[in-house]
Amino acid sequence: MTLGRDGIAGLICLAISIWLLVLTRGLPPALMVPIGPAVYPRVVIGIMALLSAIMIVNDLLTSRAAAPAAPAASRAEPGARPNYLLVLATFVAFGVYVLLLPYLGFRIATFLFVAVLQVILDRPRSWQRWLLVVAVAFGTTLACHVIFEDYLSVLLPRGDWSGV
Amino acid sequence: MSHYELLLTHIGTILHLQYLIPLVAGTAIGVIGGALPGVTITMTVIMVLPFTFGLDPLQGLAAMTGVYVGGSAGGSITASLLGIPGTPSAVATTFDGFPMARKGEPGRAVWVGVWSALLGGVLGGICLIELTGPFASIALVFGPWEFFSLFVFALSMVAGLVGKSVTKGLLSGAIGLVVTVVGPDPILGVQRLTMGLNFLEGGLPFLPVLIGVFAFAQLMPDVEQIRPTGQDHASVAPKRMSLQVSMLGTLWEVLSRPFLLVWSTLVGVLIGVLPAIGGSAANIMAYDQAKKFSRRPEKFGTGIPEGIIASESSNNANVAGSLMMIMAFGIPGDAVTAVMMGALTIHGIQPGPLFITQHPGVAYGIYAAYIVALPLMVLVIWLGARFWLRIIMMPKAILIPIVLVLCVIGAYALSNTMNDVYVLALFCVIGYAMVKGRIPLAPLILGVVLGDQIESNLIRALATDPDPWLFFTRPISGGLIAASVISVIFAMWQHSREAKRAAAGPEEEEDTDF
Repeated sequence: MTLGRDGIAGLICLAISIWLLVLTRGLPPALMVPIGPAVYPRVVIGIMALLSAIMIVNDLLTSRAAAPAAPAASRAEPGARPNYLLVLATFVAFGVYVLLLPYLGFRIATFLFVAVLQVILDRPRSWQRWLLVVAVAFGTTLACHVIFEDYLSVLLPRGDWSGV
Repeated sequence: MSHYELLLTHIGTILHLQYLIPLVAGTAIGVIGGALPGVTITMTVIMVLPFTFGLDPLQGLAAMTGVYVGGSAGGSITASLLGIPGTPSAVATTFDGFPMARKGEPGRAVWVGVWSALLGGVLGGICLIELTGPFASIALVFGPWEFFSLFVFALSMVAGLVGKSVTKGLLSGAIGLVVTVVGPDPILGVQRLTMGLNFLEGGLPFLPVLIGVFAFAQLMPDVEQIRPTGQDHASVAPKRMSLQVSMLGTLWEVLSRPFLLVWSTLVGVLIGVLPAIGGSAANIMAYDQAKKFSRRPEKFGTGIPEGIIASESSNNANVAGSLMMIMAFGIPGDAVTAVMMGALTIHGIQPGPLFITQHPGVAYGIYAAYIVALPLMVLVIWLGARFWLRIIMMPKAILIPIVLVLCVIGAYALSNTMNDVYVLALFCVIGYAMVKGRIPLAPLILGVVLGDQIESNLIRALATDPDPWLFFTRPISGGLIAASVISVIFAMWQHSREAKRAAAGPEEEEDTDF
C-alpha cells in the first residue's frame, strides 16, 4: 500500500501540526481572560492535524480501492508533462532575487532578475531578442523607479553593497 | 442628504481628475489583465496594489474597483476570440462566444459579452446600493457570539463549496487560521509560534501572505506549460480579426432577453454574496440555469447569444455581490475584495457593519467608482478594439518577471521592510505546493482574513459570559452554527454523489482561482 499525492500532502500537514502543537507547550496560562493565549492555537492546530489524518486515511482507502484499475489510469501523453525544471529554475531565480535585494538594491537586482528570468523562460535565439530582453529589464526597472519613488513616494530597497 | 443625493455627490467627486485618472487606469489595466490568458483578476489587482499605497484611500479603491470591473469584462474578449478564458470567471463565455467567433462573427461575440457585462453590472450595482445598508444594519445587532458563528459559517461554507474534496477545503481553511495565530495574541500580546524569529513577532501580515499564495500558484501552471519551441496560444491565434459590428444591434440582442439578463444577474449577485466563491462559479451556474430555462437548450454551445449573456451578466453582477459582503460584514466575497480589504486596513479603515456610517465618503465613493467604471469599461474595450489580439499575445517570458517584481514591491512597500518580502517568498512556495496537492486556496485566504476576528470574538464572548453554550442557545448564533454543520454535511453528500458519477471519467485539474 503506497501513499498518493493526497496522502503525502496530509502527512506533511500532519507533521507540521504536531510540530506546532509542541511549540504551544511553553505558552503561559489564562490571565484576566477566560481562555489563555494557547487555547485557540491548540484548537485550530488540532483541527488541522485531524483533517490531515483524515486525508491520509482517505488516500490509503482510495488507493486500495483503485489498485486493480491502476493500469488504465496512466494515459497522459509524454509530450504534455509539466516542465518542472523550468518551475524550479523560476523558483531559484526568484529566491536569489529576494536574497540579493537588500545587498544589491532594487535597481540592480531587478534589472538582473527580469533579464535572467526572461532568458530562463524563453532563451533568445537572435540578437534582436537579446536586445528585447535588455530593453524589457531596463524599462521595467526604470518605470518602477520613476513611478514608485518619484511619483508615488514609495521607497524601494537600497543595497548595502551597491549603495543604490 | 438622501441616499441617492449622496450617491450623485460622490459620482461628481469621482469624476474629478484626481479620482478619474486612477479609475480609468485601473479599468484599462483590468481589461488588459482580464484579457491576458493566465492572468486572473486577482493577479491584476495584486499588481495594481503597490501603486495605491501612495494614493489616498478613495483613489486607491477607485483604481481597484476599475480593475475589478474591467477585468470581469476583459476575460470575455479572449474567451470569444481564442476560446481560452482570460480569467476563470469567463469560462462559460467560451462555450458560445468562441463558436460564434468561429462562425465569422467575432465582433458580435465580443460586443454581446460587453453589453451583457455592462447591463449585468448596472443591475448588480442597484442591488449593491440598495442592499448593503440593510445588510449592515442586520450585522449591527450582532454580538461577539453571532460574529464568531457568522465567520465560522462563512469558512465552513467556502471549505465545502470550493474544490473537489470537503476535507481538503476544510484543511485549507484550518491552515489559514493557523497562519493568524503566529505572532502576538490579541489580548496580552504573548508571542506564539514565532520560533524565536524576529520577523515573525508582528505576525504574518495578510497582504504578503495573499500575494505570495496567489503569485506562484497562478503563474507557475503557465510556466509548466512553456515548451522550448515557444508554442502557446499565440501561435494558434488568428493574425487578423475584425471586430466591426453594429453596436446598437448587439445591445438590442441583450435587451431583448430581459428575463435571462435579470435572472443571470441575480445568480451573479447571490454567488458574489456567498463568501469567497467568486465569478468562476457564478458564470458556470448562470450558464447552466440559462440552459435549463431555455426553449432551445440543444443550441447552447453552438454560438448563440444567450450563453454569452448569461455568463457575462452574472460575472459582472458578481462584482457587486462581493463588494456588498465586504462593506456590510467585512467578509470578502472573493480574492479581489480580500485585496481591497487589505488596502483599506492599510489606510486604517476596517470594513464591516460600521463601515458605511463611519466612512460614508469612502463607502459612497466605492458605489460611485463602481457605477462610473461600467461605461468606462465599454469605452476602453471600444477604443482598444484594434489592439486586443496583439495584447493577448504578449509572451509569458516577458509578463511573468514583471508580475513578480510588482509582487515584491507590493509586499515591501507595506512597511518598507524585507521581512514582508520573506513572508511573500515563503507563501509563494506554500501556494504552489497547495496547487500541486490540489488543495483549494480560497478557504486559506478566508481563514487568514477571518482568523483574528474569530479569535477575538471568541474571547470577547467568553469574557462577557463564560458559558460556552450561548454560542448554541442564542438564536442567530445557534442558527449560524447549525447552518455551518449543514453546509459541511451537504457538501460531503454532494461531493460523494459527484464522485460516484464521475468514477469512470477522467480527473480534472482544480480551479486555482479564489
